[in-house]
Amino acid sequence: MASSSSSLPSPSSSSSSSSSKKLVLRSSDEKHFEVDEAVALQSEMIKQMVEDGFGGDVIPLLNVSSNILSKVIDYCKKHVDFDSKKKMDDRRRWDAEYIDVGVDELYHLIMAANYRNIKGLLDLTCQKVADTIKGKKPKQIRIIFNIKNDVTPEGEQKIRKEHSWAFE
Amino acid sequence: MVTGFNVLPLECISKIISFTSPLEACRSSAVSLIFRSAADSDSVWEKFLPSDYKNILSRSVSSVDFSSKKELYFRLCDDPILIDDGYMSFALDKLSGRKCYTLGARRLSIAWGGSTSNWTWPSVPESRFGEVAHLEEVCWLQIDGKVDTRMLSPETTYIAKFIFKFAEGSMGFDYQPVDVVVKFVGGGRSGVGTGKVQTAYLDPDSRKNAQFGRLRNTGLFQRTLRLSTSIRPPIPIRLPQQMLDLEGQFPEERGDGWLEVQMGEFYIGKGEDGEVQMSLLEVKGGHWKSGLNVQGIELRPKETKIPNK
Repeated sequence: MASSSSSLPSPSSSSSSSSSKKLVLRSSDEKHFEVDEAVALQSEMIKQMVEDGFGGDVIPLLNVSSNILSKVIDYCKKHVDFDSKKKMDDRRRWDAEYIDVGVDELYHLIMAANYRNIKGLLDLTCQKVADTIKGKKPKQIRIIFNIKNDVTPEGEQKIRKEHSWAFE
Repeated sequence: MVTGFNVLPLECISKIISFTSPLEACRSSAVSLIFRSAADSDSVWEKFLPSDYKNILSRSVSSVDFSSKKELYFRLCDDPILIDDGYMSFALDKLSGRKCYTLGARRLSIAWGGSTSNWTWPSVPESRFGEVAHLEEVCWLQIDGKVDTRMLSPETTYIAKFIFKFAEGSMGFDYQPVDVVVKFVGGGRSGVGTGKVQTAYLDPDSRKNAQFGRLRNTGLFQRTLRLSTSIRPPIPIRLPQQMLDLEGQFPEERGDGWLEVQMGEFYIGKGEDGEVQMSLLEVKGGHWKSGLNVQGIELRPKETKIPNK
């Protein structure tokens, strides 16, 4: 996963001329990842930095740990590949397997996708949470996602009364 | 240590909730304070409103006031708005956010509708429209409604219902069913149940009449009574089998003073372009019919659950 493996040609390297250019990303725990520019540019944040003339050698990602970053890079690599092939069924199947992760990892992927502004990954992760929420009671949602209940009993009573149709 | 989802940024929680449904959004507002803020946000309810809601509101005959997208959503669920010069009404299905329309009688094409000896256009207090069509008398009863499929919610099965009631002294519908059909104009499409002519009974007593073997307002009933007076209890009248096994659509009370009967259903796909026609026809009996009040034709989604994308 780290920079040493970057000499291997990626499957998409021949698909466009820009993919030969590399960028190096640094995770919060100081690990370096060398990726094709096309892969890094899946992140709107990095795209903006490059367009604004970011001149450094390494792009620091202060909020993203190396294990989450490598997972995010997996997603971006695969989707650069998918974008050139347009196989929707393959994409859906791959996405479904990719997102089959625990709550903790899901949380960090959302944070990383939001911070680096990767729309596809943010949609995928948020959809996963939405699918989990469906049909659950507020109490069950709190337990699954480890959410502290800061609604007062009176407040909850008010919400239930206001939206009684949703709680029947 | 598992991180709590309540420390996610508000916009992420809003995004998550916008991927659920109006019902889940209301329910999740009881999870925590930040979930509540997210669940009430305009970005969530904008997603639940139809994409062309601004266009629809601009066609409303009276201004629709709202302070948030959520308030607007429930305003449109609870109380249909009149649009297009008051000839059509629009509402949202609360569970799915899908579009519901009622084409008022003035928006329909009614055979002989322009002739006051056949049809008149009174105002009745129990109608949401300014006028209803009142049948004075016709032999040829034909009512058609047409809608552009692009005004309906995509990927949805719609049910078309004929909304009506009988005035005092109505005649000609006791045992005479009508034909109803829903079809795509120009044919081509072969959606669920479209293009199939079905029988519909408008008289709310038609099923009961058949079950109890009674005939109303007819000479047969009177004659049979005379025949059976010498015997007590009277012999049950034997009706033709086709009257006992009534097949077709029967009217139901709507709870708003009107009756409804299903005309058919049809499926609207993604980006569907075309026209759907709903028709009601009674020309087989050849007798005079009168006393029918027509409010219009209602189109509403068949499934009230939001699709799983």
